[in-house]
Amino acid sequence: MSTPLISVENLSVEIKTDRGLLKAIRGVSFDINAGDSIGIVGESGSGKSITLKAILGLLPNNAHVSAGKIFVEGKDISTLDPKSRRALLSKNTGMIFQDAIAALNPVIKIGEQISEVPRYRLGKSKDESKAIALSLMEKVGITDSESRYSLYPHQLSGGLRQRIAIAIALSGSPKILFCDEPTTALDVTIQAQVLRLLNELRTNSGLGIVFVTHDLAVVNELCDDIRVMYAGRFVESGTVQKTFNEPTHPYTFSLLKAAPDPDQSVHRLFTISGEAPNLTQPVVGCPFAPRCFSVTSQCSESEPELLPIAQSKSACFNSVDHTKWAAEDSKEGARR
Amino acid sequence: MKSAKTLYIGAGLLGALVLAAIFAPLITSFDPTEQDLMNTLLGPTSQHWLGTDPLGRDVFTRLIYGARVDLAIGLLAVVLPYIIGVSLGLLTGWRGGKTDSVIMRVVDTVIAFPFYVLAIALVFIFGPGIKSIIVAITLVGWVAYCRIVRANVLVAKEQDYIHAARLTGLPTSRILRRHMLPNVISQSIVFAMSDIVLSILAIVSLGYLGLGVPIPTAEWGSMIQEGQGYITQQWWLATIPGLMVVYVGFSLSLIGDGLVARLER
Repeated sequence: MSTPLISVENLSVEIKTDRGLLKAIRGVSFDINAGDSIGIVGESGSGKSITLKAILGLLPNNAHVSAGKIFVEGKDISTLDPKSRRALLSKNTGMIFQDAIAALNPVIKIGEQISEVPRYRLGKSKDESKAIALSLMEKVGITDSESRYSLYPHQLSGGLRQRIAIAIALSGSPKILFCDEPTTALDVTIQAQVLRLLNELRTNSGLGIVFVTHDLAVVNELCDDIRVMYAGRFVESGTVQKTFNEPTHPYTFSLLKAAPDPDQSVHRLFTISGEAPNLTQPVVGCPFAPRCFSVTSQCSESEPELLPIAQSKSACFNSVDHTKWAAEDSKEGARR
Repeated sequence: MKSAKTLYIGAGLLGALVLAAIFAPLITSFDPTEQDLMNTLLGPTSQHWLGTDPLGRDVFTRLIYGARVDLAIGLLAVVLPYIIGVSLGLLTGWRGGKTDSVIMRVVDTVIAFPFYVLAIALVFIFGPGIKSIIVAITLVGWVAYCRIVRANVLVAKEQDYIHAARLTGLPTSRILRRHMLPNVISQSIVFAMSDIVLSILAIVSLGYLGLGVPIPTAEWGSMIQEGQGYITQQWWLATIPGLMVVYVGFSLSLIGDGLVARLER
């Protein structure tokens, strides 16, 4: 097998906080190849955004990679000097953010922001850069690109801003686009447009996508693979199809159950009781155990590893038997 | 709209003085240093609008020629510290780490001294004169800009648009110049407006102490100093140059207020 484009091995990140050292990511491994589409889902604070930031070298000052390695094109980026690390990363990756208005420079015209990379990184002429920027704007579905070229970010609607942000991210023709909840701040119709755009980019240009979100429906729409994150680790990993139909980890099962189903009327939506663990404290046993419906004595003793089960991987001692859970679930539902 | 008015009134007041200073020879027919010992200490007359000083020099003429010196030095004594302070603030905020520690310790040291004590000491070292005033004020003044810009850079550095720019692999010089700078200088521009007043005040004070522009060049500080002996009889000799400083200060703070409203959204 050839080397993956980006390979993350046992990545751990610690954040210094007032309450002590927070182990935000505790050993995360995965590979990304061109054309992949991976959805990383989890609750707030599960470490999904930090994972992206760690890979892209955007960790805030109080955070650092405490263990693990990140390989880009097979090169360990921690061994590179900052300049060549940035060059290697920017050649291969782009990123779009949750809040497009914050990700665009308020004082620079959007056209200039898109044409900057061709002009100043790739060394194209002014006219060439502008032509590239205009074609990128059309590629991300902006009509009338010529007249919009000299607008400022605040003059655009939310959906257009995110399209511009995508155009900027694509301006260095990266192979992988990292998306940090890019649709969360948008209303549903615009969300659908942006997702459609990302989907088109993926199928037409073979762009790889790593999509961080807490919205399972978005992952279902856009991604082939899914990683479910909990307390700084992947607890389940598999294809979207497999995982949505036959979850192997109780957390994934509960998450899917908590998502509203338009075909079914329910009295109250299911919630996962309790809170995610405080990661400034050492984790003893399975971090999900206090909230889990299928706990055994083993769960409080040691933390389960992410091991293969069926076609997926699951970090659970009792990973499962979704049929049994579903049966119990419906029994319980009938009782209510 | 109100901010626009403040800005324009301030700019108008200052502009009038600047024009008067530039076209001084057209406004007055006297020479600012020419003595007329037959007509000393005159009160306001139709010929000498603000009277004459102990050496018979026309006070009005000295006032507008003095504006040339004070405004020019005041501006220069802000532009130089501004450029140095903003560049170093940008650098120290962006690089962080050791660079930041070293530069900020220097800043702390400069700030630890009272402004005038340090400025006067430096002028003593370099010897009186325009050059040494500017050098002294620059050496003392850059720290304020450095701090303001550094604080803004630290905030902007964690903004997504800077992250986004870094991710696309743009050269650092481009990120700092085009992405960072326009977003971090507005506060320092506003501060510069009030700083011009401070630096004019410093020049006038140094002039008053005899450390400023060498006599007989017309300069407000030395005019105040020369006039102070006659304060009970010819009070205008010392008072009017003082009012000029107030006038400049007033118009600059109007400009500053207008800019605050406009730049800080």
